[in-house]
Amino acid sequence: MASAASKLYADDVSLLMVLLDTNPFFWSSSNLPFSKFLPHVLAFLNSILLLNQLNQVVVIATGYNSCSYIYDSSSDSNQGSDHGRIMPARCSNLLQKLEEFVIKDEQLFKEGSREGISSSLLSGSLSMALCFDEQIYRGFFDQGHFILNLAVTMHAMQILCLQGSSDGPEQYVAIMNSIFSAQRSMVPIDSCYMGSSNSAFLQQASYITGGVYLKPQQPNGLFQYLSTVFATDLHSRAFLQLPKSLGVDFRASCFCHKKTIDMGYICSVCLSIFCKHHKKCSTCGVLKLLSVLYALCFGWVRRITT
Amino acid sequence: MPQVRIIAKNFMDMVAALPAMKLDKLYENAFICEAILRSLPPLAKKYVLQLLCIEVPVTAKSMEEWVLPDGVSKHRVAIDRLIQLRIFTETVDRKRETTYTLNPIFQTNLKKLLVHGVVLPREPMPSNITVRLPSLEDLQAFALEQWECFLLQLINSSQSERPSNISSSMMKTFQRGLLSQRDREAPRLTDSGFQFLLMDTNAQLWYIIREYISNSEERGLDSADLISFLLELSFHVTGEAYNINTLNERQKNIIKDLADLGLIKLQQGRKDSWFIPTELATNLSVSLTDSSSRKQGFVVVETNFRLYAYSTSKLHCEILRLFSRVEYQLPNLIVGAITKESLYSAFENGITGEQIISFLQQNAHPRVAERVPSVPENVTDQIRLWETDLNRVEMTPAYYYDEFPTRELLEGASDFARGYNALLWEDVNSKKTRLVVKAENHVHMREYLGRQRQ
Repeated sequence: MASAASKLYADDVSLLMVLLDTNPFFWSSSNLPFSKFLPHVLAFLNSILLLNQLNQVVVIATGYNSCSYIYDSSSDSNQGSDHGRIMPARCSNLLQKLEEFVIKDEQLFKEGSREGISSSLLSGSLSMALCFDEQIYRGFFDQGHFILNLAVTMHAMQILCLQGSSDGPEQYVAIMNSIFSAQRSMVPIDSCYMGSSNSAFLQQASYITGGVYLKPQQPNGLFQYLSTVFATDLHSRAFLQLPKSLGVDFRASCFCHKKTIDMGYICSVCLSIFCKHHKKCSTCGVLKLLSVLYALCFGWVRRITT
Repeated sequence: MPQVRIIAKNFMDMVAALPAMKLDKLYENAFICEAILRSLPPLAKKYVLQLLCIEVPVTAKSMEEWVLPDGVSKHRVAIDRLIQLRIFTETVDRKRETTYTLNPIFQTNLKKLLVHGVVLPREPMPSNITVRLPSLEDLQAFALEQWECFLLQLINSSQSERPSNISSSMMKTFQRGLLSQRDREAPRLTDSGFQFLLMDTNAQLWYIIREYISNSEERGLDSADLISFLLELSFHVTGEAYNINTLNERQKNIIKDLADLGLIKLQQGRKDSWFIPTELATNLSVSLTDSSSRKQGFVVVETNFRLYAYSTSKLHCEILRLFSRVEYQLPNLIVGAITKESLYSAFENGITGEQIISFLQQNAHPRVAERVPSVPENVTDQIRLWETDLNRVEMTPAYYYDEFPTRELLEGASDFARGYNALLWEDVNSKKTRLVVKAENHVHMREYLGRQRQ
């Protein structure tokens, strides 16, 4: 299975979507507290914007109940290129939005009153990132006179997931669908996983879309990891040796109980996955399921058939 | 001929050519570090970022390990550039191992930029002092008008209606290479001058700025000072007013020239005076990396060789006059015809037919620009035909050899010349033995014939 086809990029202008995990359940137990993690990220965002005046950074916060856009660098570039005032303003703006988001996210939790959600809404923020891409496309068609500016941004988009919390098997289908649409629009998903064990979802996401998956060995030097690996623009990736993952966990989740399984039953029509034998597929209603157990690699099956 | 274009882009070569002392001084300004970082090739930017937090020397070997086999040449280019600009210092230790260290001044400045941001040496003035600030549109119009006026003066000193304050000696240096002056004749545009007019404004600006910097030493200005001031200026905000008293004496002299070029607008208040950077100034560092903006076209060419230019600009009229007969001018329209005579005078000036055609195509009016071809085919063909008409006879400097003692020697010599692709004509059939060979191969021929004689 080859990973996504790569495009040729003429220059190093890039649009970077950063998905920031804000799950308090993870950060309270993490080795690297959120307050120490954030300065690394801010410096990284600044360095991306420093490298090229056309670079754009968008930050999406991934909470455990919701997700939201919290920062877009194109909104402050309108005010001119005065860094003296923009740089601190940028950070305080981002931090303020982030705080508002976290508070709102927590309120949603109280209303829902579920206990101890350890996973974040990665599927939601991934889809939001991809929708942002779509928005640009649409804006591109609406306003003909922005052609030059947007033609630059819409080709070199990349997504970076800064994720800490563990995978939520119930999001499996949604995440997989996001990954495939990212693959189709040739947007690489990079992932920097801060948690203790590897994330199967992010490994698959990076593998399928041709991005980089990395689990920093020393979280205290996060900025060095970010600037060395993830600041590489798509143009330079063709010439550089980036970390490759040794093994990818291709296990899928079943549709019925949302359990992670490596053997299961597949519907012969819609390719839904089940951990037990059913007479009728709950997704498409076909009566006879394949009775044979399959070694599952959902991404792989989907690639062959589409 | 394409020399001009190259010059306009390689501003960084000029920075790299500065002596080490001056370059180090330049890096003390964080804005210059930023502008220079942005002008680097992508891979070089990446290396700088990667080494930003590393204080110990990094071996060349470990740097090479990051690169795939495909990227080795790019890697070399990036490293060479970094060493040239003294961002990397290369040291070879006793074990013959090459190591690189990041320039410490550059490094600290970039770190500061990332974490704190830096503040410009001057703040914009509060709006209660600066009363009648021009709107952004006015400012842009001012910049364009000023720039056009300057260009007009550049190509045709007598035509300009309001002479700018740029001294004639400075104008002369700008004109060097763009105009050629023969004795007692009016100066004429050379082909590179024409090419210059065809470039977009940013590229033109850089060409002029480059000339301005390279002869700054003659005027007693330090070129490093000038470069750093210009780059700093490009980080100011368009349309904001900055107090002139924040500048030192030398910079005050510089901005007067820059105002004439339309880079900034000077205004006088009751007590203070201030300068307002225009888009031309803030685009200075942008144009380092090559992002050209396309101007809207204005020319319509019809199949009957008539040319309609929707423009109020005198400069456009002057450019059109170079290769067409301008028949009449209305307030917003110039009507002309492309004739054999007008083209011949253009060719005489060294402007090629291709240049004229590409000018017409690049500046085609939006209405006709959508059409393919935007300039009618019969017109472009005719321009090319008239041009080749002039070049019916091709001149090649050559040497004429005769009185060969034997026919074998003649045949040997003509074969030898053919080997160099230098044989122009030979006369084998008549009794006289004659041969014409390109002049550049005369040395080889003489050696050959000398050897044969022995």
